[in-house]
Amino acid sequence: MNVKKTVAYIVMALIAVIFLFPLLWSLVSSLKPEAKIMSYPPKWIDRFTLINYETVLDKYPYLGWMGNSIIITVLSTIVVLVLAAPAAYAFGRLQFRGKKVIFSAIVSMLLVPIQAYIVPLFLLVSELGIYNTFAALILVAGANVTSVFILTSFFRGIPKELEEAARIDGCSDYRIFGQIMLPLIKPALSTVTILTFIANWNNFLWPMVAIRDNALKPLTVGIAQFLGGANSTAQFQYGTSLAAACMAIIPSVIVFLLLQRYFVEGITNSGIKG
Amino acid sequence: MAKSQWKVAAVFLLPYLLVFLVFRFGPTIAGLFIGVLDWNIVGEASFAGLDNFRKLFVDPYFTVSLKNTLLFLLFTLPPLVVFSLLIAVLLNQRLRLRNAVRTVSIIPYVLIPAVVGIIWNWLYENNFGIINYYLKAIGLGPVEWLTSEKWALISIAIVTVWSYLGYNMILYLAGLQDIPGDLYEAARIDGATGVQAFLHITLPLLKPITSMIVTLTLINTIQIFDQIFVMTNGGPGTATLTLVQYLYGVAFQNYDLGYGSVLGLATVLILIVFVRIQSRLFRLDD
Repeated sequence: MNVKKTVAYIVMALIAVIFLFPLLWSLVSSLKPEAKIMSYPPKWIDRFTLINYETVLDKYPYLGWMGNSIIITVLSTIVVLVLAAPAAYAFGRLQFRGKKVIFSAIVSMLLVPIQAYIVPLFLLVSELGIYNTFAALILVAGANVTSVFILTSFFRGIPKELEEAARIDGCSDYRIFGQIMLPLIKPALSTVTILTFIANWNNFLWPMVAIRDNALKPLTVGIAQFLGGANSTAQFQYGTSLAAACMAIIPSVIVFLLLQRYFVEGITNSGIKG
Repeated sequence: MAKSQWKVAAVFLLPYLLVFLVFRFGPTIAGLFIGVLDWNIVGEASFAGLDNFRKLFVDPYFTVSLKNTLLFLLFTLPPLVVFSLLIAVLLNQRLRLRNAVRTVSIIPYVLIPAVVGIIWNWLYENNFGIINYYLKAIGLGPVEWLTSEKWALISIAIVTVWSYLGYNMILYLAGLQDIPGDLYEAARIDGATGVQAFLHITLPLLKPITSMIVTLTLINTIQIFDQIFVMTNGGPGTATLTLVQYLYGVAFQNYDLGYGSVLGLATVLILIVFVRIQSRLFRLDD
């Protein structure tokens, strides 16, 4: 038994290392001046400096990108919730003709990657005069399918009796929705909030296409300028790009840790009942 | 069935439907129609009939991108299902610090693709990268991770597994926690070993979750784009040119919008075929 436990702990430690190692090594490297980063053999402990971080903050509108990301993500998430929750309620609880057809048309879009409709979408956004604005990102985010899908299955799962009792008491549909149904699907709402938040925070291709001004870019697109490897540019430096990457990890991880409980509950709930 | 509630439904549905139709459904349908056009974004569009569709069958780049996409699926799907299950089983045991390890394992999932790209580009660095350094220390390598045709796709597959493993693990963990403990108790009394219990209780009961994980993984890998775009942009050569990567090049670098749309359609069809196969294989009865 003890041998088993020991093996289990060793494997667990290995798992933790696999996930943490890339992050830790990047952090350590980002704290070295460029010349030291490329020194060989690699050293874990060295004389550390914040020079790379200063370069990123001085030469790029980094905090602006982060602010943009926060505004876009928060507004997108709100819009998704406000649009998707009532729609999902209609699909999950109300009877009307064409429900099945409309619902399948919506859900089938889960299989269509944005690349398949990004050209028409781009033309549309230009036509509407919202190219290079946050509105282009938020409205497109609002047409979210996953959230309708998840919320609908939750609304469906609520027992009929609750609704019938409310109806006998004379509740209107709007009150049933707002005061009975919404509180009941709180776990699902938190799931959708988190999944939408992460999806929008990490969204890359559409903002890259829809935003032209460097100052309006969200962090995902802005930070892509720091990429090395095959996309490397002449003045590419590992130090600054790693510093830019490490700073971007912080808000992702903070948000995740704050919402972690809901996140785990959420994705598991959506998975099993979805 | 109760009487139709279409008036109420309309109030609830319309705001979403409007946004959905304009910004999702409409463009998708328009994308289909663009497929029959010969349209370069600067020129006039002209009707091309089925030319763009025919092109698919003779286009060597399409064949290569399809092959790469299927290879990528082969590299990522098995580990993403098997390892996530094994890790979930481990982290479901009563172990100290298991919650910390659960948290740590899901962090890669919440990171921005470009951030993941920067981090792994550095780890994979041919001459100064730490992975090659450690490989050399045990007498292996150096491997030209992202810069050789042989390894580039595998390198991205490793990064993808690293990113999604924790997410799948959480799904499995939830499934495991839903299995009643008495089942294992009964199996133990009947003399079943741990492995037998795993094969005859755990695996069958996790079938719905496995099915879902496979579907999600299919969607994420067949449509893989961001990670490749930021790390290798399809190269070296065509080594990491996947379907969506190719589509992006055709539509946004060659500005061949018609053919780009056809490629999008092809991607969707391939995805549907795989999702169908998946649901056949798992044949869920509920």
